[in-house]
Formats: sequence, structure tokens, C-alpha cells
Amino acid sequence: MANRDDSPVARLRRTVSEESGVLGTALTTRHLEAFGRKVTTTASHLIGDPSGNIHYQHAMSELQKELRRPGIQQRVFSYTKASPTELVRSKLSTSEIQHRALTYLPDEILANIPEDENVYSLFQGFQATVPEEENEHRKRRRRRNLKGQKLLEGDDDEEEPTTPLEKLRKERQKLNHKLEMMSVRKNMCSSEIREIDNKISNLNTMRKIVLDRLGDLEQDEVQMEQDLLEADDKLEDMLEELDDAATLNPIATPPTEINIETEITEEETSFMSASIYEKIPSPKAKRHRPSRRKSIPIRHEHFEAGSSIKEFQAHNDMIVALDFDSPFGTMVTSALDDTVRVWDLNLGRCIGLLEGHHASVRCLQVEDNIVATGSMDASIRLWDLSQAEYSTRLDSTEEEDAVDNGVAFEDSKETPQPLQTSSMQSCPLFSLEAHVAEVTALHFRGDTLVSGSADKTLRQWDLVNGRCVQTLDVLWAAAQASSTMNSGSNNDGQWRTTGRLPDASADFVGALQCFDAALACGTADGMVRLWDLRSGQVHRSLVGHTGPVTCLQFDDVHLVTGSLDRSIRIWDLRTGSIHDAYAYDNPITSMMFDSRRIVAAASEPVTKIYDKTDGRHWDCGVGMNGEESRSPASVERVRVKDGYLTEGRKDGVVGVWTC
Amino acid sequence: MGSNLPYAADADSPLKPDELAVLRAQFEKEGPYVGVQTKFNYAWGLIKSSSRSEQQEGVRLFSDIFRNELNRRRECLYYLALGNYKLGNYQEARRYNDLLLDHEPASLQAASLRGLIDDKVAKDGLMGVAILSGVAIAAAGVGAMIFRGARRR
Repeated sequence: MANRDDSPVARLRRTVSEESGVLGTALTTRHLEAFGRKVTTTASHLIGDPSGNIHYQHAMSELQKELRRPGIQQRVFSYTKASPTELVRSKLSTSEIQHRALTYLPDEILANIPEDENVYSLFQGFQATVPEEENEHRKRRRRRNLKGQKLLEGDDDEEEPTTPLEKLRKERQKLNHKLEMMSVRKNMCSSEIREIDNKISNLNTMRKIVLDRLGDLEQDEVQMEQDLLEADDKLEDMLEELDDAATLNPIATPPTEINIETEITEEETSFMSASIYEKIPSPKAKRHRPSRRKSIPIRHEHFEAGSSIKEFQAHNDMIVALDFDSPFGTMVTSALDDTVRVWDLNLGRCIGLLEGHHASVRCLQVEDNIVATGSMDASIRLWDLSQAEYSTRLDSTEEEDAVDNGVAFEDSKETPQPLQTSSMQSCPLFSLEAHVAEVTALHFRGDTLVSGSADKTLRQWDLVNGRCVQTLDVLWAAAQASSTMNSGSNNDGQWRTTGRLPDASADFVGALQCFDAALACGTADGMVRLWDLRSGQVHRSLVGHTGPVTCLQFDDVHLVTGSLDRSIRIWDLRTGSIHDAYAYDNPITSMMFDSRRIVAAASEPVTKIYDKTDGRHWDCGVGMNGEESRSPASVERVRVKDGYLTEGRKDGVVGVWTC
Repeated sequence: MGSNLPYAADADSPLKPDELAVLRAQFEKEGPYVGVQTKFNYAWGLIKSSSRSEQQEGVRLFSDIFRNELNRRRECLYYLALGNYKLGNYQEARRYNDLLLDHEPASLQAASLRGLIDDKVAKDGLMGVAILSGVAIAAAGVGAMIFRGARRR
């Protein structure tokens, strides 16, 4: 193989070894560089440089010719598929056998070799993995080392370009090669992107499957909890019956046994109809639903933000207030149709009605099992939902249509359910009556409830004994603030008649919230006042809104208010200054925030959401998808907890979303 | 694909250990979701190596690529053939190479590889025959001696 020494390959190899000599001391950061240099060297010989290629192929064909010479030999042995050494190795060495087993490709795989439609070959990809600047580097380095070295690139430098024509040609070739590499690299990127896209779509489908599984599990979980509850109840009853029997009839034991049996069967039927419930005396009625569910539904956290969980016709008139205790928990809604309904969000079923108010309920709050409602009849009522005679288990007949669609809801609403009216019978705790005009806002926390009324007062109530603890007169406080502070130009504390007259529909007290001794209230003059409940004084007034404040919420850092002036303002609680503000196109009627987003109802068919973490504004709701078959009514009230959003609309529809 | 395959001679120049280490690091960094190009780069680096175990690993990677990447199969056939040729598994090498030639009769690289394989087999075969015949002659000689000895008796 003497002639191979002149072949470009040999030259190439020499170059490589020389290079490695030069780079032998190279730092680790240079590894890639060195590697790249080598690769491009190879590339230029094999592909980029046609002349080199021709040489090479010529050499190769010569090589082959030479190899062919002992043709007889070959012919003699061509029938042997393998050489003896190979045979020995493949039969005797275990590692060889293992390797063969690992790499063996069965014929059926080999049979399936599709047409090669790749834009670049893997080898080209290999060459192109080298960054562009490596070439420059290489050139510079080569120039630097020119003196002491055999020329690295045979063709390039051997005959120094004598004529400018040649020089240009070479330049052109180089550029061509670069261009080619560039396109290969481009194709690599695009194919990599395609690969990643495929992976993403695969993962998405997997995610969907798992999400479905999660949904099923949660459904089962609820069922299981219900079963557990029932079992507990039965156990309790059984024990009670036994006790009763033991005290009443200590002698005759066998008959009581039968008694218990009949009692139990009666009980089982009693789960179906409420009329029997009523006959059964107190111990049953006192039974509490567990205040907290053992399991916490998390499914909605994995839904894509803005996807609908449920939507149903809750009322036939505009929703005035709604609240829920926890995701997939219990929701209470009130509407202008003068009803207050309690809903099981998990099954999406109306559990019952809260009856007692003489007029429609303007505001309400749900906390665990306690519901507080403030009504136009000037009273506030408190309800304990744990007293409700309601089993979350579906009756067997209803189980079929308990699918997540509005139809099922409407059905359950339309069908006269004696359960509905009577199931909440034992819920009312007590009523707080001291206001002389409609109650427009309330908030309770722990044993303290605060309410705001159209009689222009705020009242603080003690929920333990149901008494009014103090009354705060907003106008008086405003007047006092203006009298003490009006020395300068500052008339902040004063009751202001806003530029646009507060329209009649605006509530005097739009919203309030208390925490310990702190109370914040937003009023129709656009002011937000911070009260100290210990002194009964306003200790700070936040001026900024130009229309009635309709909603308000604070956490430990910020106070967020929404107003009919279409803006939402975020205040810094400590300094009382504006932290952020933004506006929508229409008056804001309701707003709430959780750890991540501020959701607002802005008289539009969609819920407005402001994502605090990434500063994004987006809309959520049916109005989005342009399905204008029935134009959805505007959203009136929103509540959000842990990304679980409920909204009530003007036409009585309640939507549940993730966000 | 034509000229986009390296010739067999190109597989004879091993990379430097640190260069191979770069490829290996990249390969390991991408973990279970390793891209085909990275896998190829590492495999090709391994095939070029002069260590037999590395070559084996390279062939294993190529068979992996072959299994998983349907539209890279044709290319992979060549590397499988080349790798097996370097390993001395001429039977396998010929199997893959012939298959490739069936699909791409015009491939210069495959044709040259076939020549190389044939040559290697022939050389080894000749050696084998030489050894065998040597053994046979020796055996004949011994046999003859024994035979002669027996006859003399």
C-alpha cells in the first residue's frame, strides 16, 4: 500500500497528528476548537474541496485495483462469509457474543429501510457541529505556525495561488463550502425543532391521559369519602340505638336486635326522601358534615388556564352575589329572583335554598360551613351549612345525568325537589338586625363580622353572642377628618361629591374587609378608608378613585380596589401610596385576587384577569371563543381561590373556570 | 446521500481522548432524550477509536440509532458495516454493506468498503488456509511416520 502514503488521507492524517502535536498542550477549553479544526480538515478533504475529492477517489480506486489483483484469492474465498479469526472470536469469546447479541439487527428490521429524505446526512451534521469561528481560528493559527510546519492544508497552501484568478476561485470555493455548512446547520436546527415539537406533542397527550386519570381518581375519592361518612353515620346510629335499647329495655335483648335491623332499613330509605327525615328526631338532625374534606381536589391546578370546568344556569335573574368555600367545595349564590342557592361544586348540583330573608340578598360570604348573607331587608343572617340534610351521594336515578353539562343542572333545578326547600331547614343560626337600610357589604373573619349598609353606617358584630359591638358612622368620620385636617389645602378626609354624581345604583358602602382590628371600606365617594376598630377612628384615607368603589380586598402587603371609574388600583398598605393601577373599558363591578392573579368583572361577557407574576392581562370566559350563537351576558360577580374561578352573570348563569 | 458518507479510511484516524470526551460529555448531558445528531457524533467518535471496546460501543449506538430513527436507517447501515468491518466481524459487515448496496448501488463508499471487506476476508482466509494446510501437512507427516513405523514393524 505504498501509494497510499501520497493520498490525501495520509496527508490528512499527518496534518491531524501534527495538529495534535501543536495542540498537545491545549487547555480543556480548546478541546472543542481543536476537534472542530480536525473535523473541518476532514470535511474539506472529503466534501468541500472537489479537487481533493477527485484525488482521493482516484487514490481509492487505485487502491481497489491493487487490492483486486489477487483476484483468484478473492474468488476462492468469497464464498466464505467470514474469516477464520472472526469465526473463532464469535464462537469463543463471551464478551464478543454479548456484543453481537446486543447489536444484532434482525432481518425484519433490515427489510424496512425507507427512502432517505433527509436534507443533510448525519456525517454532515457531525462536520457542521463545529462553530463557524473555528474556521477563522484555524486559519489564523495556521498562518502563525506556517514557518515551522509542513503545510497543513495540502491543496490550499501547497501551490501558493499564483494568479489572482486562482485565488478568487479558491475564495469562491471556500465561501461555497461555508454556505453549504451553513445550510446544513440550519437544517439541523429545524429538524431538531421538529423533533422537540414531536416530543412536546407526545408529552401533551400523555399529560391529558394522566389528567383524565386524576379526574377519575378525584371522583372516586369523593365517592369514597361519602361512603365513609355514611358508614360513620350508620355506626353512630347503631351505637345510639343500642344505647337507647339498653336503657329502655334492658331485659329483653333479642327483640331489640330486630328493632335495630328495622331501624336501619328505615334509615336507608330515609336517605332518599326528606319527609322521613323530618319525623326522625333530633340526634339525626344534629349530625354534622365534616367541616373539612379529607382530600383536597387539585385537578383544576393542572388544567390549562382559562379552561371551563362547569357552566350552568343557576338562577333565572341576575346574580347579585356569590361565594364559595374552596375549589370543588360549596358555593352559595344569590340573585335578583330573591333566592339564595347552595351548590355542590364537585357534582354541580343545587343542594338547597337558604330561606328566611324577606328581600333579595345583596352580599354574602362563605367560610367553611358558615354563610353570612346581607339582604335588602336590612338584616344579616348567618347559616351553618353543616346542619344541612344533604348527602353528596347522587341518587341512583340522577347518577346518569350528573354529567358536567348545563342540561343536568337545569334538570335538577326544574324538577321539584322537596329536598331543596327542606334540606336547609336547620341551617339558620341567627339574624343580625340593627341596620335601617339594605346591607350592601359584609365581611367576617373569626368571630367578628362587619357590615356596611345604605344607612351610611358600618357595624361590627360579635358572632359569639350575635350582638352589635359598635357602629361606625362614615359621614361623621368623614366630617371629623375634614375638620381636624382642613388647616391646609388638604381635604382628603372629607366626603367628596365626585365629579360624576354617584348614580343611584351605586351602593354607599361598596365593599369592606376586616382583619383583626383593621377595617377597610370603600364607599360611593371613591374613597377607601382604613379604620381602627379599637378606636373607631379612620386612620387613613386613600384618595384616587373618581367613581364609587365597588370591591376591595387586602392581604398583608397590598390593598386592591376596583371602582365604577373603570380602574383597579393596587395600594401599598404600609405607605398608603399607589403601587399599581390599571383600567378596563367598563365599570368594575366585582374583583378578587388570589396569590397569583387579580380577577375582575368589568361589565363584559368575559372575566378580566391580570396575572401578577408575569404581568399579563387576559380574558377568560365564553365571550372569548366567538361562538356568538347566544351572546353571553356580562359578568357581574367573580370569586377566585387558588386558581379556581367562579363568575356569575347577568342572566343567572354561573361559570366555573381555571385560571 | 452520495458523497456525504466518509470513506473507510476516515474511520482509521482516532480522535484524541479529550475530543472524544467532549463528544461523550455532550452525549451524557442530553441524557435519555439525546438527539440523534449527538448520538451519532459520539458513536462516530467511538468507531474512529482504536480501542476495540470503544468500537463495540460505537456499533451498539449505531444499532440503536438504526432501530429508533427510521429515516436515518440507510445512513446507519453504512456505519454499521464500517464499524463491524473495523471490529473484524466481516460477516456482519458484509451483510449490512450488501444491503446498502442493494439500495444504493451507486455509493462509492459502500463499493469501496465491499472491496476492503472482501480483501480482508481473503487475506484472513488465506492465512487460515495456510495454517490449516500447515497443520494438515504436519499431520500427514506424522501420520506417514506412524504409518511407516507401523509398517516397519
